[in-house]
Amino acid sequence: METLLQILSPDFLLCNSVYTSVLIGFACPLVGVFLVLRRLVFMGVALPQISSTGVAVALSIPFWLGAKPGAHGPHTEHLLAFAGSTAFSLGAILVLALLERRGRGRPEGNLGTAYVVAAALSILLLSQNRYAEVGWLDLMKGEIIVVDNADLAITATTLTVVLAVLGLFYKELLFVSFDPAMAVTLGKNVVFWDVLLYILIGLTVSMSVLSVGPLISFGFLLIPPLTAHLFARNMRQFTIMASLLGGGVAFVGFGIAYRLDWPIGPTDVVLLGLVYGLAWGGQWLFRALAGTKKPPARAISENAKHNG
Amino acid sequence: MVAGPPNPHMNEPFITIEDLAIGYNNQPVMSGISLSVLHGSFTAILGANGSGKSTLLKTLLGLQPPIAGQIRIETPTGAPVAFGYVPQTLQLEPLYLLSGFHVALMGVYRRIGPGRRIPQGERAFVRECLQAAGAEGFAHQRFAELSGGQKQRVLIARALATRPDVLVLDEPTAGVDAAATHALLEFISQLHEERKLTILLVTHDLPLVRKHAHQVIWLHEGLIVTGAVADLLSPERMAALFELEIG
Repeated sequence: METLLQILSPDFLLCNSVYTSVLIGFACPLVGVFLVLRRLVFMGVALPQISSTGVAVALSIPFWLGAKPGAHGPHTEHLLAFAGSTAFSLGAILVLALLERRGRGRPEGNLGTAYVVAAALSILLLSQNRYAEVGWLDLMKGEIIVVDNADLAITATTLTVVLAVLGLFYKELLFVSFDPAMAVTLGKNVVFWDVLLYILIGLTVSMSVLSVGPLISFGFLLIPPLTAHLFARNMRQFTIMASLLGGGVAFVGFGIAYRLDWPIGPTDVVLLGLVYGLAWGGQWLFRALAGTKKPPARAISENAKHNG
Repeated sequence: MVAGPPNPHMNEPFITIEDLAIGYNNQPVMSGISLSVLHGSFTAILGANGSGKSTLLKTLLGLQPPIAGQIRIETPTGAPVAFGYVPQTLQLEPLYLLSGFHVALMGVYRRIGPGRRIPQGERAFVRECLQAAGAEGFAHQRFAELSGGQKQRVLIARALATRPDVLVLDEPTAGVDAAATHALLEFISQLHEERKLTILLVTHDLPLVRKHAHQVIWLHEGLIVTGAVADLLSPERMAALFELEIG
């Protein structure tokens, strides 16, 4: 508890890292909910990896052009990395969605190929680039140590815009996800709403990868929604529970990592996994003890009454 | 209100299809389709699996572009047609934590601008539609946990909430037991009788069609035959047309 209070203090040296981590923890599950509902869990794995490859490619450009490391200052590098991450994640999500819509190849095959090629490309670029020595490897491992005010502002602004758009058009995004055929018959432009959703997912993933790396991004995109789905009774509860769980675990995970001197990203992901395992086990135990595998009696009698 | 005024355009052409070719990726499943559906008619689209009835339905609904030909739909006001589409329940993902009410509420989205909240009046209208469909008793249960017949009633309520010109039902009895099938079709017939609503029903259930529909569009091995139920579904005519053995 003392550690948690300490990292909450504005004087805490790594307070920007805490804020960034918690922001990502809150935001990723909100778009991750749509990945889970659309059964695009594989995309949640592949996208952060592709996005980090975008960072690798973008940071390699000065090296390929013969510039010295750090010659353009950290903000130029950050912007370059943001551009690379965003371009790769948006490009990938749009191409993968297009392939899925047109029924080209098996979706899981496309996603698996994209993931493994992106991972291999990242390693190749890392092995060829001495920038790897100045923090890039930390990003890949999920170390969130140095976040300056400008980086925090960019992260907060991007995620605020994403959340605002998501909140404003939640009804439309949910509708085209749940029943795209019905949406077409009602004159909705399903392609537009799909692309908007993919842009929101892509932006969140790229910002998240840039701030906390691919491992933790994947963890926060998928594990909080999967956990919340076990308990939520409606979409509002599902979304809010997933987001709160992500933010809460990000905060507690940071505290544990700081206290034990562990890397933050892997600590957060393991903690998320533990929470998911406990939630799943707890629910199973509760059902076993209560014998509620079947719907409650009232629901059964109503089913019988209204069936047909 | 849920019940609209009597249809003054009864028996006038509503959907006219001319020399239509349907299929995927420019590969026609069926071509040379010409037929018309009348205002206020109850039309069944019949055919075996793979005969092209789902493709025809998707093309009619605008989910699939036609390869050739045209579809003309003449609404009384000249406004774009409002389809009350009832999909197969198996098409809907059970992971969504939506109640029957929230699924039915989607029926009013055509009238609600992007980013706008749903007015209380529309919510009340959806409750009326659920009541009309006999679904108000389970509307607040999770949609994915309802029985097949209950889901169909919620989806019909959703279709009614669109204030449809035509109700389009894609195999509504798939996965529904015999008693529920009977009740569902009785309800759809009642809707048709009371509101003179144009109905398009995709099915491969001949007895149901004989009992409820007036007009039949039969797709069979690239052929399309249309006619009144009494004419087309007589055992002799069917045997002659399709060389089928009728039990």
